[in-house]
Amino acid sequence: MAKHVTQNLALAFLAGIVLLAILAPVLPLPDPIAMDVMNRHGSPSFAHLLGADEFGRDTLSRIAFGARASLAVAFIAAVLAGVAGVALGLVGGYFGGWPEILAMRPLDVILSFPPMLLALLTVALIGPGTETLTVLLAVLFVPTYARVAFGETLSVRHHEYVEAARALGHTAPRILFRTILSNVAGPILVQFSLVVAACILLESGLSFLGLGVTPPESSWGLMIRGARPYMYQAPMQLLWPCLALVLTVYSVNRVCDMLRDRFDPKAAVLWFPAPRKTARAASPAAVPAMGKMLDVRGLVTEIATPRGVIRALDGVSFSVRPGETVALVGESGSGKSMTGLSIMQLLPRRVGRIAGGEILYAREGAERSGASAAAAVDLARIPAARMRAHRGQEIGMVFQEPMACLNPVYTVGFQLTEALRAHGRMTKAEARARAEEELRRVGIPDPARRLNDYPHQLSGGMRQRVAIAIALCGRPRLLIADEPTTALDVTVQAQILVLLDDIRKMQGIGLVFITHNLGVVAEIADRVVVMYCGQVVEDGPVEDIFYRPLHPYTRGLIASVPQDGGSADKSRQLFSIPGTVPNPLDLPPGCRFAPRCPEAIAACTKAPPAMEAAGAGHQVRCIRWREI
Amino acid sequence: MHYLARRTAVAAVTLLTVATLIFLLLHLVPGDPAEVLLSSGGMAPSHESVQALRLELGLDRPLGAQYASYLGRILQGNLGTSFQDHASISAEIAQRLPRTLELILASTALSLLVGVPAGLLAALRRGGFWDGLFASLASLGLSMPAFVTGTLLILLFSQTLKLVPAGGYVGFWESPGQHLIYLLMPAVSIAVGLIPVVFRMVRTSVLEFLEREWVRTARAKGLGERRVLTLHVLRNALSPVVTVIGLHLGTLLGGTVLVEYVFNWPGLSGMLVQAVEQRDYPAVQGIVLVICILFVLINLGVDVIYGLLDPRVRTR
Ligand code: SF4
Repeated sequence: MAKHVTQNLALAFLAGIVLLAILAPVLPLPDPIAMDVMNRHGSPSFAHLLGADEFGRDTLSRIAFGARASLAVAFIAAVLAGVAGVALGLVGGYFGGWPEILAMRPLDVILSFPPMLLALLTVALIGPGTETLTVLLAVLFVPTYARVAFGETLSVRHHEYVEAARALGHTAPRILFRTILSNVAGPILVQFSLVVAACILLESGLSFLGLGVTPPESSWGLMIRGARPYMYQAPMQLLWPCLALVLTVYSVNRVCDMLRDRFDPKAAVLWFPAPRKTARAASPAAVPAMGKMLDVRGLVTEIATPRGVIRALDGVSFSVRPGETVALVGESGSGKSMTGLSIMQLLPRRVGRIAGGEILYAREGAERSGASAAAAVDLARIPAARMRAHRGQEIGMVFQEPMACLNPVYTVGFQLTEALRAHGRMTKAEARARAEEELRRVGIPDPARRLNDYPHQLSGGMRQRVAIAIALCGRPRLLIADEPTTALDVTVQAQILVLLDDIRKMQGIGLVFITHNLGVVAEIADRVVVMYCGQVVEDGPVEDIFYRPLHPYTRGLIASVPQDGGSADKSRQLFSIPGTVPNPLDLPPGCRFAPRCPEAIAACTKAPPAMEAAGAGHQVRCIRWREI
Repeated sequence: MHYLARRTAVAAVTLLTVATLIFLLLHLVPGDPAEVLLSSGGMAPSHESVQALRLELGLDRPLGAQYASYLGRILQGNLGTSFQDHASISAEIAQRLPRTLELILASTALSLLVGVPAGLLAALRRGGFWDGLFASLASLGLSMPAFVTGTLLILLFSQTLKLVPAGGYVGFWESPGQHLIYLLMPAVSIAVGLIPVVFRMVRTSVLEFLEREWVRTARAKGLGERRVLTLHVLRNALSPVVTVIGLHLGTLLGGTVLVEYVFNWPGLSGMLVQAVEQRDYPAVQGIVLVICILFVLINLGVDVIYGLLDPRVRTR
């Protein structure tokens, strides 16, 4: 809110200053260059509202005429630079090749000079003066516009509307100035306000040095220069032009921010309050069901987006037994990754939050960390500090992008020993020996040497093995793997799957395997949880899901798995289900799958279907599962 | 190594371009160069003086020959002699350059010292009180020209409160304490404009890096929040900050010119302003060239630091 107030004030101030500048000659102001030695540093009076300067000239009048000079120079320079720069950028970006080199290269020369110095060099050459200054500033800022226009033109050059104009036989100039220019106008307008501010600053600086606007003309920079020697006797004479200058530049900057908000698609997000203030009351029956190590019940997770709060998870329930592999399956946007992040309390801070439900976890291994043997915890409610003790030692997590999941600036050894030492006290040497062992365990050859490698020196598969080693080095009882094989090629994918499966078998850990690839699921999972639009739509043993799928969405998924051997490469992995995932801000009423469902009937859009038991350990969210 | 070699080559080409442009500028202005240099306020200079200047600057020789001797001269570190007193420009610059460097260094250090913690705090408490406060201060700081900040500092701390001298200079070896006092206000004036830049960049890049997967990995392995923030967020977020400081160097150097003038700091810029006032073109040329070299070299330094911060760049 405060932002809008200051923005409006800035706009009002700017409008006032511009009006003052334009109207200065017709306003009933004293002559700005008429000296009156008797009235040196005269205090404010009715005739001189802001007093008089060191020559007895009227300060208000000089401020007004100074605004006229500063703004005129800045505005004209910004327009001239804009016209030239945009033209060069458009031509360079549209044609490419030689025109690009001719238009853009020379500009780099201007950029290799600090602007103030190029200005001083020119003034030394041809002497100060308002016209010189304007032309100079214009030249200085041509590259700024040209770069923006060039970049924007490049990005729209192959857009449909440009191609369409070309197909219609429009000439290049017409396409450039009608079609493209109108589409790059926003960023250029932002640039314009930036350049105006920069010009005002440079102009006032040069005038302050006595090398810009020349006396007796008025300029804020000159006024500050003149008042400086007398600042002790007449501080207000110094402060007025300073105030005018700073407020004007500030207002222009605020207007620039406003323009940027308007043209930038990434609008501001309204953040959630800090988590501590919204601690949710403890749930009454915080114990997982018999034999379950993880029992997620009715989990609701909200995400703040620029266009409103969405429910990324809306009542998600599923459970994991020790030694069991549960696959969470769904298209992107189904909420499967959010589920993993919610369990780990790794939702983006103040952007995502758990708004309901429980994540019950049985701490069978409580004795290992030395904590008192509490039977169970609710991970959705425990404070961050206690959650930290669970991460890595109770629950480990592996992420999708092996490229991004390791910090590029540290060696593998650093990142692995860091994890080891977070789990238990050990010396550097011990940690290093353990690290070597951990790498060997995940099948990395020559581990001692790999420890000194940076992530970018390893292949994707190797990086993912390192990530798995990091996740497992605290001996967690549950591993959440978020699409760990998606970014890898097929053979490496298979190797990683085998590795994960071996580790699960050997250590009896529970595995939550998040994927969009049903082919992978068939190889590894015991149970499958199918998600759609933040809800579980079907949950059952892997055989049931593959041989007796009940939900039309599950059927669509299975039908779209390539027949030739499961895990196929990404390009052929496109689902054949018609339509797209609905916008989470605008979910269909009733069944969320209805718009894409081949079996949909009128009743489907009436009320949201509930989860129904459809067999031993098999549940489905569809009102027609019995019939179809 | 590869990376450094390429950066150095780019820097060398830039330097040659800059030197060439500085040479050509005199010839690009319409009219006879010697006349342009001597004319002031619409008054045409006398024929004799123009002839004399031509001879002095070698303007009577062909352009190619002039260019060759100009480049040769620069490579030997000879920047010519001043119009004013025929003193060696190089010697004068050599004496003043360290002082300008010191000012730049001090203000950059100050900006990092304030900007980095503020940016980090604002990012972690995004949308909160501190975030809002710092953001407003930053947009105010960006709107304050360095010479206004400097003048106001003098008004407040020297004239009104009489805490520090209004300007001047004492050599470090003569009186270290006094030297630092003289350095304080100029450095602050420049920093006021640079802190917002650092602050905004730190805030943006911390916010961006906070959501990186490796930060999640770091948290997922059970690291403490402080370790995650310093080692896995801030450490990585500093690379873009270094780049941005390099990009802002041009503005920074411009600010230094004004600030040195305001505080009578006897660096390069004071000499520059004086030379411009006196239309002492060889001196201006020399100083601008040196500052441009500085500009390019500091940018090269930035690239080197960038390489040190990011192992991927080194081997690329
Ligand atoms: S409830 Fe209706 S629309 Fe939804 S999946 Fe079942 S049949 Fe399709």
